[in-house]
Amino acid sequence: MADFWAAYQSTLGFAMVNAFFALSTYAVLSAGMLSFATVTFAALGGFLGAQLAVHLALPPVLVMPVSALSGALLAYVVALLFLRLDSHWMALASLALVLITRVVALNATALTGGVNGLSVPLSLPLWVLAAILAVICVVFWRLSASWYGIAARAVREDAAVAATLGIPQRRIQTIAFIISGAVGGLGGILLALMLQFLSPETYFIDIAFTMIAAVVLGGSYHWAGAIVGAVVFTALPVLLQAVVPDFEKVANGICLLLIMIFLPRGLIDPRALRLRRARKAPSR
Amino acid sequence: MMSAPMLRLEGVQKSFGGLTAVAALSLEVPAGCVAGLMGPNGAGKTTVINLITGLLRADSGVIALDGAPIQHLPVHAIAARGIARTYQNVRLFAGMTALEQVMAGSYLRRRTSLMASFLALPSARAALRMTRRRALDLLARVGMAARADELAETLSYGEQRRIEIARALGAGPRLLLLDEPTAGMNAQESEAIGRLVHTLRDDGLTVLMVEHNVRLVSDFCDQVTVMSFGRALVHGTPTACMADPEVQEAYFGRKEDAQRIRALR
Ligand SMILES: Nc1ncnc2c1ncn2[C@@H]1O[C@H](COP(=O)(O)OP(=O)(O)OP(=O)(O)O)[C@@H](O)[C@H]1O
Ligand SMILES: [Mg+2]
Repeated sequence: MADFWAAYQSTLGFAMVNAFFALSTYAVLSAGMLSFATVTFAALGGFLGAQLAVHLALPPVLVMPVSALSGALLAYVVALLFLRLDSHWMALASLALVLITRVVALNATALTGGVNGLSVPLSLPLWVLAAILAVICVVFWRLSASWYGIAARAVREDAAVAATLGIPQRRIQTIAFIISGAVGGLGGILLALMLQFLSPETYFIDIAFTMIAAVVLGGSYHWAGAIVGAVVFTALPVLLQAVVPDFEKVANGICLLLIMIFLPRGLIDPRALRLRRARKAPSR
Repeated sequence: MMSAPMLRLEGVQKSFGGLTAVAALSLEVPAGCVAGLMGPNGAGKTTVINLITGLLRADSGVIALDGAPIQHLPVHAIAARGIARTYQNVRLFAGMTALEQVMAGSYLRRRTSLMASFLALPSARAALRMTRRRALDLLARVGMAARADELAETLSYGEQRRIEIARALGAGPRLLLLDEPTAGMNAQESEAIGRLVHTLRDDGLTVLMVEHNVRLVSDFCDQVTVMSFGRALVHGTPTACMADPEVQEAYFGRKEDAQRIRALR
């Protein structure tokens, strides 16, 4: 049992960190936008937080809020620019932003350490990570039950109709970006604390792929989908490696394909639940 | 009764490429009136509603609510001025129950800030409870109270239309625009919509409705405008409009065709 724990501890840690990135992606998706900018928010939160830890010797409790805040601020600026774009152009622009992020990470050596990377002299116990994730879950739960949650769903389903009901699309989507930025920035510093080393490659396409796969897998119509997706996507290859070696490399790809074909709205789908319930209890 | 027009369109023009959908249209709807908008298929009725709500921008002309021009305002700001609408092809939100649709429609009446709502402050919780009760009342008003917790997309077409009316009422409008609210309904259901519109008017709402059903228009509208090819052909009481030879020609001459086309889609 102790061996098992030791072996899977880091998988659990990465699963939880990926959950932050997936939640950050969910935050914008739930207001009708596909954006990869989470990677950039994570990079800012991660590098900035790491520098604060290195140079000012700040403890994690102080570093993490700064990372989240910096992500939120950057997201606000990104929203000002991106919300002028149509949806598919926004997705492309955010991908361009990811590419730019890596170039900046390579060249802004004062912040990132450049090609040499950056050691992070801090670590975080797993239970703290779990506790922070739990807090963020409560935040998302509260948001979904709030006025913002109702308005965001309306904007996502039909922005024009939502507007004729007085729901301001830009404003709702700006808030979505700010939430995404805060959670992404927080995820960035948490990844840094997990890895204890950052390179310009840390915040790059891998994260973008992971977070999108997680929301596709878990479902983008409920915040829990992002978490389930992140955990499955992170843990599946590791578990399979123990059971059927050589298979783990394609496992996620196959899993994603199956989900997209048979459960296009992901594992967690409130609408499917309601439809099933409606079929079970035929109306009077 | 002399009252200033709640809604005034003056010389409103809208073209799509070479096609003029609305041509120099002028129209007035007095406050507290149920106005009908009729015309054959493609006359431009839906386009007029899209122009009033800001989903389409007029090429020229003025659209004024209570005398203040609104044609330059963003869509959500026009809604905030007190205009709500329904859609010819129902546009409910996927995945939402009937109650949630009306709650979403009540955004303008939420009476609480995002922060208060997020923190679930007592005031916000009370406001949410009140909005929910109000939404249930609105559903009851359109005869859908028993279906409040059902996924709207699983309900019949007529039921969805009624939920859409409740959703529009959720915004607490002063002017309600209905685009063919009785399409796909039988005579009884249509009659019920007519009576609902009357109770809404008695509560102080002004209504502009696109409607093909001549009986309904005659029974429930105070004034009618008949459009043809983007122009207002005639304007007056239902009886006067129906009797107008031009209307007979433009509208009823082709009504059989129109009906057949609608049956097909
Ligand atoms: N977005 C658009 N782009 C191009 N043409 C349009 C658009 N909307 C409407 N039209 C055209 O404008 C004309 C008027 O259309 P509109 O939908 O307003 O008619 P209508 O009176 O509502 O007809 P119906 O009774 O069939 O609903 C039609 O010829 C239609 O094809
Ligand atoms: Mg129409």
